[in-house]
This record gives sequence, C-alpha cells and structure tokens, in this order.
Amino acid sequence: MSSSSQNHTEGCVDGLGNPLAKLRGAAAHCIVGRPPRRARRLYAIWLRHVRVYSKNLISNALPPFLEPIIFLVGIGLGLGRYVGMMDGVPYIQFLATGLLVTAAMFTAAFECSFGTYIRLEFDKVYDGMLAAPMSVHDLLVGELLWAGTKGFFFTVSVMIVTTVAGILPLGSIIAAPLLGFLTGTMFGALGFLVTSIVDNINQFNFLFSGLISPMFFFAGVVFPLENLPPVTRPITEILPLTHPVRLLRGLATGNLGWIHLFDAVYLVLFTILVGAWGIHRLKRKLVD
Amino acid sequence: MNSSSALFVSHLFKSYGTLRAVNDISFSVPPSTCFGVLGPNGAGKTTMMKTLYGKAEPDAHPDTHMEVFGFDPRRDQLRIKTLCGIVPQEDNLDVELNVEQNLRIFADFYAMPRKAAGERIAYLLDFMELGEKRTARVRELSGGMKRRLIIARALLNDPALLILDEPTTGLDPQVRQLIWDKLRSLKREGVTILLTTHYMEEAFQIADTILIMDKGNRIMEGNPRRLLEEHLERNVLELMNVSRAERLAQLLDGVHTEASAERVLYFSSDLAVLQEAAARLDPGDGVLRQTNLEDLFLRATGRRLNELQ
Repeated sequence: MSSSSQNHTEGCVDGLGNPLAKLRGAAAHCIVGRPPRRARRLYAIWLRHVRVYSKNLISNALPPFLEPIIFLVGIGLGLGRYVGMMDGVPYIQFLATGLLVTAAMFTAAFECSFGTYIRLEFDKVYDGMLAAPMSVHDLLVGELLWAGTKGFFFTVSVMIVTTVAGILPLGSIIAAPLLGFLTGTMFGALGFLVTSIVDNINQFNFLFSGLISPMFFFAGVVFPLENLPPVTRPITEILPLTHPVRLLRGLATGNLGWIHLFDAVYLVLFTILVGAWGIHRLKRKLVD
Repeated sequence: MNSSSALFVSHLFKSYGTLRAVNDISFSVPPSTCFGVLGPNGAGKTTMMKTLYGKAEPDAHPDTHMEVFGFDPRRDQLRIKTLCGIVPQEDNLDVELNVEQNLRIFADFYAMPRKAAGERIAYLLDFMELGEKRTARVRELSGGMKRRLIIARALLNDPALLILDEPTTGLDPQVRQLIWDKLRSLKREGVTILLTTHYMEEAFQIADTILIMDKGNRIMEGNPRRLLEEHLERNVLELMNVSRAERLAQLLDGVHTEASAERVLYFSSDLAVLQEAAARLDPGDGVLRQTNLEDLFLRATGRRLNELQ
C-alpha cells in the first residue's frame, strides 16, 4: 500500500496531527482527519443522484418529459379548440402555464417515494452511504435538493417546448425554473413524509391515486379553481400544487396580489415543515 | 480518555423496546490488532458494531463510555466515519453503476481530489483483485466480487479502523481465504480491525482477541488460543453412533460428557484415555480430534437454538 501513499497524501488533511499517525504504525499514510464541510457533503449526495439517474437518462427522463407535452397537444389543441378562452387567455396558454410545474411535481414525488423507499428497503444504499462521513440529515437534505433539481430540469424542458412552439412568450415565464425547483423540493418533502409512514411499497398507490393525480385536476392546472363550487375552496387551498400553479399564473400575467405572497409563503413553509417532519421520521428508520 | 486504545467501550447498553440487544458490554481494542466478535444470530453483535459509528443509538446510561480514536460516536459520528472503513452485513452497492463508479461516488463522499481518487481506486481494485472488473456492472458481479468491492470501498479513505460485519458469510472458501489474507496484510500495515463472524475458523485465523456474545451478554473474552486452553479440554471424542455409549460408559466415567440425541462428546485433556476408548469403537462410530473454537463457542453459547436464531 505504500506505493500509493505518496500520491494519496496530496490534498489530504490530517486534522489530528501526530497521535493518530502513531496509532497507524510505521506504515501510516495520509489519514483524512476531518469530514468534508456540509456544503461539500450535500454536493456529494446530490452528485450521487445525478450520476445514478443519468446512467439511464433516456428511460428515466423521456417519459416525464413527454407526458406534459402529450397532454398539452391532446387536451390543449384538441379539446382547447372547443374551449376558446379561459381566465382571459387562450386555453392552450392557460394549460401550458399550469403544466410547467406538474412535471416537477410528478418526478419529485416519484423520486422521494418509490425512489427513496427502494434505496431504503431494497437496495440498502443508504446503509452504504451512512458508512461514509454523512449524517442522515445530509443524506436526506441532499436528496431533497436533487428532487428540486429534477423539478427545475423538467420545468425547463417544458419551457423549451412552450417557447419553441410559440405558446408562451419566454419573458412571461422566466421565473418558472425557480418555481419548478421549489415545487420539486415541496413534493420531495411530501414524498419523504409518506415514505416514512408506509409499511410496504404498494401503499404509495394511495399517495399517487389519492392525492397526486387528483391534484392535477383540482389545483387549477386544467381549469380555474373558481369554476368549482365555493365549498371546495378550503380543500383546494390546502392542496400543495395549487400554490405554485397560481403563483406562476400571477407571474405570467403580471396580475400579482397578496394571494401570491401567500402562495410563496405556503410553498416555502410547506417544504420546510413537511420536509423536517419527514426527515425526522425517516431518521428513525435509518438509525436503530 | 483511553489514549492507548483505538477503540474503547465500557458499559454499553442497547434496547429495542423490552429486548435488550446489548447488555453491559465492555472491551477495548489496541491499535493494529484484530478484535473478533462471535455469537449466534441475535447475540447483539451487529447492533453493538452499529453503535460505534452512529448507525444505532446506545441507550442513555450514565456509565456508558465510548471512544473511537478519542471520539464519542454519540457526538462525533462524522469524525469517526472519516477515520473508519465500514463493511455492513448486507450488500448495498449501487446496482445501476459499474464497479469503478461505485467507488467514485464514495471518493466524492470523502471529498477526495479527482486525481488522487482515481489512483486510489486503481490501487484498491488491484489490491482486492478486481482490476479486470473495473467497468463491469454490479449486477454482473458474483457474491464474492460484490463483497470484495464493498471492502475496497471501505478502504477508500485509508481507514485507521476497519469495521466488518460478517465479511465472509456466504462466500466460497477461496474468496474467504483471499479476504483473510487481505485483512492480515492490512493489520500488518497498522490498520485496526473489528469484525463479527459466525466462522470460528475466521476468528481463529485473524483475530488477536475474541469476544463471545450471547443474547446481548458478554460470555468470554481473550486470545482465542488461550481461551481454548483455559476453558476447554484439549481433545474430544465425538461419538456419532450413540448406541456405543454404553460400551464406553465405564471407561469414560468422570470425563466431561455432552450428549444429544445424535451425538455424544467426551472432552478430556488426557489423550490416552480417549484413545483407549476410541480403540473399542468400530470404524465410523466416532472420531477423535483436538478441540477447536467451535466446541468452545457451542459450550459457551449452548447447543440448542434460541428463539432469536
């Protein structure tokens, strides 16, 4: 092992000085004394996800990329012809604005439910990762940042389509990638919480059939919430997707009001509170 | 602070609900030695190991004291994990990635510079005899290769302490021997090794000190050879044909005897008396041999299965 020791010493930090080197005996080489800084640890976790994901990029990324486009073409162009204007804009524009963040929701919710569960229970990769200088907190916050990144990425890809197809002027949706990121972390946080609760992987069907899919229709993506009976209002206000969709619409049309500030606060608070709760609960599954 | 030990644990307790998995375990491991923890399934070995790097939280007990190179796992788990290499019981590689990429990801976890990481990875793949599998996907690897890859991964940060939880369980004898060789060579280089195992042979081959645990309790601890001398007669006559026991009863009166339905074991340091008994048997009835760690283990932890096994 001594042959590699000289090269290996480069860039290593011996944070403990001599005593530990002595413990290693005569053959002691570089000992990485200090754990990497927190930002570096989060980056390493994030990078792990990027690497694993991009390994099968086409099969991983193509379906969630095509889904909103198919919906846009099928419903927006097909059905949209009969709808005409909605909420003051052509229907295809109305729909496209909402679809900018739904892909972020779907991919992040998948990543932090099925993905997290498989890493936790089947592949046991967390056990490996926790053998490196990582805390459970690093592991999960890094993963949440990855969920946000996926949200960002898919929002941008839908954005490219709506821009190239001339559906939405780019200037009006310039904030969409940021909202895509926030939507990603929001649904990542929700995914964590549900993952911490389920007993087996099939129970995620409740999350997707019971919450995520209905949200697609009842959060103002496909039609304005004002069209629903007023009694449903409190429910739609609780649904997380309502807020990034309304905020993006406000930004796109320039009609901003206090309600949009509420949306932004909801988005951030939901992510922080539900995320912290989910991480706290998952920690019990990761640390005996 | 116990500065002469790489690892120092005293009065460690860990409960899961009403089950006490680790019950008042104490030990210390000098640097550059190998400490083996033996015990049947459910003895608390894995749980005990996990408390050393923050994967399990020990019970809050006023007498508990733990140090890994002077760091307390309850507070400084990141420092400890920076200094240690950990080989968990279950394989946990990224199956989507190839051999080298699995190690790359971990090199990033240690924030190793790219070039140094590349050299280290090449060296370790060579060391674990995986050089030819560098670009193979994890799915294509055999069980033994996966295990060796996990050990290589645990060595990335050039650890001062290597923690291995049943490193050779389920592997064929060739791979097992290879892993033992590697562990011996690491120990010679100054690495402290802590391992759990079911294989008495493994403990005998590489451990300087063994701790036998059962149901969370410490049963005995010491140098394996010395433990054998102190706790066990030197020889054993193993009688498979139990119907012959009557024939030997008078001759072996007073010899330590352990009997089950299918086997009778006569333990004695007096080889002559066992030889005389063996002479009265037909070929195949029994076998006369030296006692080994397995005999000690079975005597210490009982021959019957318990409810956790």
